[in-house]
This record gives sequence, structure tokens and C-alpha cells, in this order.
Amino acid sequence: MANFETKEIKTFDYERPSIEKGYANQSLHVNISDSEISIKPVTEKMKEVFTGGKGFDLWLLWNAVKGNTKWNDPENEICVAGGPLCGTPVYPGSGKSIVTSISPTTGSVMDSNVGGHFGPFLKFSGFDALEVQGKASGDVVILIDGIDQKIRIMEMSGLPDGAHEVSAVLTEHFGQGKPRNISVITAGPGAKHTLIGCLNFSWYDLKRKRVRYKQAGRGGIGSVFADKGIKAIGVRWDSVNVDTNKPADKAALKAVAKNYSREIVELDPKQNEMSRVGTTHLVTIMNDYDLLPTHNYRYGQHKEAPNMGQEVYRRIFDPGFDGCWMGCTVACSHGIKDFVPLTGPYKGKKVFVDGPEYETIAGCGSNLGIFDPFTVAEMNFYCDTYGLDTISVGTAIAFVMECFETGLINHTHTGGMDFSFGNKVSALELVHQMAKGEGFGKIVGQGIRKMKAIFEKDYGADPRVLQDIGMEAKGLEFSEYMTKESLAQQGGYGLALKGPQHDEAWLIFLDMVHNFMPSFAQKAEALHWFPSFRTWFGLCGLCKLPWNDIVPEDNKDTAEPAKVMKHVEWYAQYFSAVTGRQVSPDDLILMSEAVYNFQRIFNLKMGFGRREHDDIPYRAVGPVTVVEYESRQDRYDTQLVEQHKVDIKDKSTDEKVALLRERREGMYEKLKDAVYERRGWTSDGIPTVETVKRLGIDFPEVLDVLKSHGIE
Amino acid sequence: MIKVKGKEFPWREGMTVADLLKDLDDSYTYVLVRINHKQVSKPDFDKTVIPDNSEVFLVPMVAGG
Repeated sequence: MANFETKEIKTFDYERPSIEKGYANQSLHVNISDSEISIKPVTEKMKEVFTGGKGFDLWLLWNAVKGNTKWNDPENEICVAGGPLCGTPVYPGSGKSIVTSISPTTGSVMDSNVGGHFGPFLKFSGFDALEVQGKASGDVVILIDGIDQKIRIMEMSGLPDGAHEVSAVLTEHFGQGKPRNISVITAGPGAKHTLIGCLNFSWYDLKRKRVRYKQAGRGGIGSVFADKGIKAIGVRWDSVNVDTNKPADKAALKAVAKNYSREIVELDPKQNEMSRVGTTHLVTIMNDYDLLPTHNYRYGQHKEAPNMGQEVYRRIFDPGFDGCWMGCTVACSHGIKDFVPLTGPYKGKKVFVDGPEYETIAGCGSNLGIFDPFTVAEMNFYCDTYGLDTISVGTAIAFVMECFETGLINHTHTGGMDFSFGNKVSALELVHQMAKGEGFGKIVGQGIRKMKAIFEKDYGADPRVLQDIGMEAKGLEFSEYMTKESLAQQGGYGLALKGPQHDEAWLIFLDMVHNFMPSFAQKAEALHWFPSFRTWFGLCGLCKLPWNDIVPEDNKDTAEPAKVMKHVEWYAQYFSAVTGRQVSPDDLILMSEAVYNFQRIFNLKMGFGRREHDDIPYRAVGPVTVVEYESRQDRYDTQLVEQHKVDIKDKSTDEKVALLRERREGMYEKLKDAVYERRGWTSDGIPTVETVKRLGIDFPEVLDVLKSHGIE
Repeated sequence: MIKVKGKEFPWREGMTVADLLKDLDDSYTYVLVRINHKQVSKPDFDKTVIPDNSEVFLVPMVAGG
């Protein structure tokens, strides 16, 4: 056990309120610059307009920052919230938190969702949301002690560097013999030295007697955390049962929860077996459909991909219950016990790897031309304990590898390292460099947008090529799906509020395989409904996996199978039972639409949020190079001839690449038009006054932002 | 004999996933089936032979990410 010293900076006593129908009805504000702690009321209006979770986060952050606030300004905040349904132990997937902040890589508002016990424990300790503002010079640790009703700000020196060790040490220290009462947020040294840092949210795994964690990975919020000088935030809470969240109608809650939980237990073994293999089942499926990114999204398929599929991880994962919240029957948070890294500070030591999930396998594996499950596990372990987002790390290294192989950068830029695709040693070394803020890793850790600028300015690389192959939009690295053959998913990524993350919309099968949305209007409708419904999970503290990754057996016979309406109806019943606010499925969409549009306007406030910011690199739209085109020549030739009515006789591949590009880019712009119209936005992608009035977000400050952009 | 949707179903030598779906007369476009624990995607339905005594799961998959 580490030796560390604690210096108490501030202790703040408070009276914990009773939870009422899913809400604590207050939020906690901590400013670590001056150790100021205050409690703010959560008003009925806040609940009505923003619902909770991400909605509360956004509203609190909006009020804390100005339009010119930068990610590392003291006034920037990290906001954490669950939501009114968060902490319900009987309904699967009810333990999520949402974190928001101004992002170091996008410069705008970022949100990232995460499992673990922090969100539920925070609420039961008396707070629907937490705002942390300011900056400190030392290693600050904040403890929200819901049992003793105290907030403590401490400086702790001598804590270990690795997030898994910090989480374990503080869980034991604060747990007073009951480690399951503790959840800890940590980042790590990589978060401190890069802009793509993640946050680890812990829980105590009773069976394995160890601290586990999940990650709020996207957009560098871990880097904000580290830049503020925060080492950890802990929360302490006692036992939880169905009454803890004080549902308005306990009988109704138990009835709908029982249906859902039973269905998952019955159907998951018949469907994707997520309780056994997690999301690793997606690897071979994506590969089969040419959707698994390989070699920086050039291709969607590789013959070695099955080496990292669910059949392999089924054997590697440590069997047992792996729910990241109590009572979740999906229980997909699997891990690898007694893993021995071959590199880095834990080389030769047995560690537990929390993961990998699909995104990490694709990002740190296939997209780098690496098809070795153990290298992926090692990347996963180090990214987590260093506090690095595995998606941004993977996508950034994939970009580096393509730049290296095509001669845009060379050994002199990489410190002598070879970055050919498939080079496991270099990929791992780069992660270690990111953690130390040294060498080429210091540059790669800035993320792709900043790398593009450095490669152009300092290394003389062609900016047009960098733009085409650098897989970022809005400053955020793409998550791990190929979108070339799904226009709807190009929109799913490009029109997503925070940048290209699939949590807003995943429409590839519906669009590409089922052809459920052949017209622009149908695609626009999907890009209205799905982001709205998926946003709703973030307002309530829920995981989306139980909604559509395990579906009723008769779902396929319903009018709109993709929406899984039986489950949507159950969610409406669930919300009604907890909050006492009687809602229908359509009401859920309206709740989300308000927050969704508010976030779009938040982007506008920060200087983004217009049509030009919804552009995506051409690699996401179609084949950039002759080699890519020729790898799927029949497909592209057929499309040019049959869909676009182009005479390709005597055309060179270069000419066909250009012809296809012109048409596909035109289609993406048409998609933007259709989606903006459906969402009630102007052709520049800005919500109209009519839209914000309809959604009840026409506050004076919102209207002022719109007015400053000519919208009145 | 194989098991499909929890019920016994006659097996024949060389029977592929595509053959089975045709025999079942199920018009839904499945993207995935599982033969025991092994996943088979639609592009491979017509070249994947189902072994005797297998359990086949028709996975009504609509999502991915």
C-alpha cells in the first residue's frame, strides 16, 4: 500500500436531503481555486426543461463559461451528473453518469457517458450534479461523503501515478472497511501530458475483491481534470435498494423492471451473449460487412480480424458477473485477469485489464493493422491507467501510421521509430511517451487536428492530404466504424453535436443492409429521431445497450424494428414510475430535443455549431486514393454507372476517384440540408427562434446567442 | 436434427444457413445467425454449412454501435 500524506484544505458539513422521485433537488459546486463549496437548488423549471443528467450538466456549464472560455481557463468546469433514473438497481443499465466540459481538442462543449458507481452514489449523497471549477497547484482530492454528510477538499502527496492504483488506494482509504461504499474518479499521467485524456470511474467488484473502472473517454475531459490539478474525486455512499431512489410508484417500477430484466436474461444467450463476451461480438460482424476500420479507415475488412473476435475474448475474459452497476443483467464490463504486460512500468507484473470493448479492439487493433488480442489488451490497460482515451489514441496512431507509410512524415519526425501499420512495439512505445509527455508522443497526444497543423507547418506535409485522411471532425477523433457506404451514418458522425462519436446515431445496418431509408427525407427523419432518443439515455442516467442490443423476439415483425418500440414504451413507463411525471414515447423525444437543441446553441456560443463545422474528412465519405478505389472497384464502378449515370468508359482510376468524390460530397451536402430542415434549423445549421420556442428553451441568453448570429 | 428458435428442425447433409432460412419461410432480413457460439453474417449465409445437432439462433440484430 502506498505511503501518502493528506493535508486537509477544507471540510464542509451539509445536511443530506431525502431523494424525491429520482431527484436530490440540489447540486454541488466546488471551486478548487479558493476551496469554495456551495450547494445550489435544482428548480422545477430545470427538471422540466433539462430533465437531468446531461441536461443539468449543460445548463450548469453554460452558466459557468463565457463564449471565449478556453479549456484550461479556471472558469471551465467539469460537470458530472446521473439523472432521475440513475441508481435504480432493478432496471438494467441504470448506473450511468454523464460528464461535460469545454474540450481541449474541440474548443466547445463535450459530453461523455460512463458507467461505474459514481453517478448513483453522488445523487444518493444528496446531489443531482457536481460542478468542479477552478485550478489548484497540488494534487487535490475531493471526497463527497454522503454517509457522514461532509465534503472534504484535501491535498494528497505520495499517491501513485497509475489510475488503477490511485483508485485502489483511495477506495481502501475512504472505505473504512467497506470498499463497496466508494467510487472514485481518476485520470492519470497521460491525461496530464496530452489533450486526449479520459476519466476512470470506479466501482468495487465484490466477487473479485478489486476495484474496477469504466471510462468517460471522449474529448479530453481527463486532460481538463489533470490540468485543474485534481488527482481524484471520491464519493462515499451506503447500500442501495429499490427504495433508495424513492420512486413515485414502486409497484409500477418493479413490474416494468422485472419484464425487462427477465427478457434480457432469456434473450441475451440467444442473441449476442453480451453478458459473456461484451461488445467484442461486433468485431467479426463489422468485419463481415466491410465496416471494421483497418489501416486508418482505408478498408473495412481484414482476413486476420477473427483473431480478435468474440471467440478469442470468450476464452481470455475472466468469467463472472461484470455489471458496472448493480442489478444490470447485460453485465458487459468484462476484463482479463492476471494479464502480464510486455512493456512499460508494469512490465512483467500481473494486472487486471478492464476490457477491451469493441471500440478499443478496432481502434488500437485493426485500425493500426494490429490483429493481436494481447497487444490490444496491453494498449487498453495502459491507456486506462495513464488516463488516455483508447478511441482517440487508436485513431490518432492510425493517422500517424498512414502519414508514415505515405512519406508525409518520416523517421526524423518520429524520433527514429518505425510507424508502419502493424508495428506493435512502436504503437505501445508511443502510448508510454504520451504518458510522459516526451518525444513524438507529445505531438501525437495533441490529437489529430493539432497534428495536422504541425505536420503541415513543421514537416511540410500536403494539407489537402492531411485533411482527407485525418479522421477527426470538430476536433474529435472518429470512433471505430466505416461509413463510406452509409450516407446516413456519415451524417450520424458529421452532424453529431460534439464530434464523430456513434452515441448519437448508429444507422449503418438500417441504411446499408436493410435499406430502410432510401430517400434523403427518410435519412433526415432517422437523424432526427435516433439522436433524440439516444440523447434521452444521457438525461436519465441510463445505458443504451439494453434498448437495442438485446431485442424482443417479435421486434422484427413490428412496423419500425430499428426503434424497438416495445422497449421505448417500457422506458416511458419506467420514467413515469420513478418521477411521477406521466410520459409517452413521444414525450421522451421532446425532452431530448430541448436539450439537443440547447447543446447545438451552446456550440454556437463557443464559436462553433454551424454548417461548416459539420464537415467531415473525405476518408469518411469515399475512397481517397486509387488503391482504396481499386480494392472495391466493382462496387464503385457500379455506383458511378447505375446510381450516378456516369459513363466510365476509358476513364482512369484517378478520374473515377474524382468523379465519385464530386458526387458523394454533393450527397453529403444534400443530407445536411434535409437534416437541418427536419430539425427546425436554418440552412446554416442553426436552430430557429420558432424551434427554441417550441422546445421551451427560449431563454433571453439563448435568444441573444441566436440574435448575434442573425437569427431573430 | 438441429434446433432452431428452441425447437427441433430436420437437418440434411450440406444444409447451409441460406437453405435453412428459405425452409423457415421467414421473410425478415437477418444480418446475423449463430450456430452454437459461432457467428455467421449474411454475406456468408450461402456458404456456411450447418453441422448436424447444432443449435441455430436467428439474431434479430438492428443495432451495432
